[in-house]
Amino acid sequence: MPPRQIHIVDNDPVAAMITQRGLQTMLGDRFTVSVASSPNAAWLACADDRVDLLIVDPSPHVGGVISLVRAVRTFRPSIPVLVLTAYDTPGLRAKMRELGVSAYVAKPVDLHDLLPVVTGALAGMPPRLASGPSLATISASGIVHGK
Amino acid sequence: MGELETLRAQVEALEASLQAAEARAVQFEHEAELQHGRATHLGARLNTLLSISAALLISRDVDAIVQLVVNEAIGLFPGTCAAHLFLTEPETECLVLRAAAGAVERRDSLGLARMASIAPRAMLLVGPELELALEQLDPYDREALRAALPLWPPSSALISPLRVDAQRLGALVLYGGTNAHLYHPRDLPFIQALGDLTAVAVDELTQRARAAALQRDLAITQSLHAEAQARLNTAQAQLLQSAKLAAVGELSASVAHEINNPLYAARNSLYLVEQDLPPDAPQRAFLSIAQQELGRIARIITRMRDFYRPSKSELASTSINSILRETLELVQTHLRHGRIHTTASLDADLPPTIAHADQLRQVFLNIILNACDAMPRGGELRVTTQLLQARPEAPATIGVIISDTGVGIAPEHRPHLFEPFYTTKPQGTGLGLAISAHIITQHGGRITVESEIGQGTTFTILLPVNSDVQDQQS
Repeated sequence: MPPRQIHIVDNDPVAAMITQRGLQTMLGDRFTVSVASSPNAAWLACADDRVDLLIVDPSPHVGGVISLVRAVRTFRPSIPVLVLTAYDTPGLRAKMRELGVSAYVAKPVDLHDLLPVVTGALAGMPPRLASGPSLATISASGIVHGK
Repeated sequence: MGELETLRAQVEALEASLQAAEARAVQFEHEAELQHGRATHLGARLNTLLSISAALLISRDVDAIVQLVVNEAIGLFPGTCAAHLFLTEPETECLVLRAAAGAVERRDSLGLARMASIAPRAMLLVGPELELALEQLDPYDREALRAALPLWPPSSALISPLRVDAQRLGALVLYGGTNAHLYHPRDLPFIQALGDLTAVAVDELTQRARAAALQRDLAITQSLHAEAQARLNTAQAQLLQSAKLAAVGELSASVAHEINNPLYAARNSLYLVEQDLPPDAPQRAFLSIAQQELGRIARIITRMRDFYRPSKSELASTSINSILRETLELVQTHLRHGRIHTTASLDADLPPTIAHADQLRQVFLNIILNACDAMPRGGELRVTTQLLQARPEAPATIGVIISDTGVGIAPEHRPHLFEPFYTTKPQGTGLGLAISAHIITQHGGRITVESEIGQGTTFTILLPVNSDVQDQQS
């Protein structure tokens, strides 16, 4: 069985690398965790159905990430999207909830707290943000806030 | 013989002249006595008037003045059977009997008062003139006057207007009782003087009362002005504080976002390193310290991020009582361990309000935990809610009062309590109350503190019901 694909879109290369290395280490060979070079590259991979989970950080400094999420949710709704962001604001949370992403996590989160969210998204759990009140946010201290 | 006759005739003429001279002397003597008597009487009247004027000047009561005037008038004008003093009511401009002497007091009888009040000066009414004046009275008024006077009809009357400049203040009316003591024109200057003195005294008191009323109004206006100024100062201070908090919020949120990525990378790098270390590696101790400190930075960053305003999408109808109950439930163990007795008096009629429940919970939690810190040896925590509404049509406000019996806050710290990064605690970030104030301000409310060293501290939070919270600008 081919390994499942996790793509990361993050404009901060060090943060992206840590996410990639951490998840790869914790998830093992059954998964391939890679960093997309750009939102466009990630979209091409999603369009080819080569992605099982998309992890994005919609930085306000880099355009295209929100468009990517919108495109994936519209044309490839089966691909779960996990928002892992350093730019957590109520406005961003609301926007992601509207787009129906699977999970929303605020940095700086510990990798061991991030892992269950990733595996949950991969397991095809129903989108936790789609219905609004079920939004789950992991704060810096790792506490899960049910919204 | 002829000479003798002549001499006799001269003596008789001289005797006649002497008799005439003696008669004239007697007449002059009588006249002198009369004039002396009159002078004495006039002197006595003048003395009485002077006494009255002195008494009027020092008197501070209108009723006392008018009663003094009518009493003295009886003695000043012999033969007076009744003296009436009327004053004009400022609002209705009607004459009202204020004092009477020597007569049954009938407040419904004006008698000659109307005529007196419009007279240009003091007047003496006798004979047909008085009869005519009495006939011209309203029949009911005439009957009332008849009932009021001990003798009817009066033999004469002296009337005087009470007037200062062009202002008619009332009238003084004296009724003569017997024909033996008819009033005389020489009485006119005295009643005029008495009327003028009375008018001046009454006017002075009226002016004094007006001045006192104006002074009271001025004092009230000054007090209101001072109050308004104080409110303005408070509002300006709150506005400044709000602006400072908004600026700090914007800055801190921006900094927090930029720090999150490196913090995320650093924390998890340590985590990944830790995974590869043997359990007994000595480096683990330092890794643990580094992780703890990074965790501390993360907590500070999280709090800084809380300066963000709530977006409307996260606002919902919220029960303040429920949030307070949940918060107290959350800290129940903490309170029990701290030997803190809690009393909650929550107004059951409190309406729900549009608010960000999580943020308000954070505010209440922060204040309650501060209260716990202020009572290291235990104490009492009192939480009260009430609906404040001055008038039914006025906007309603929810008041949340959280008070403790702790150590209190020193006066020098109080002005800085809500400033960001101001703390008196060794481990404090100085953001708790600043964030609380910011959150309450963003909800359109107000937070105030009262404290006394050794007695405790009370935080009062005022939240508008169904407040229109500004939109998030993120």
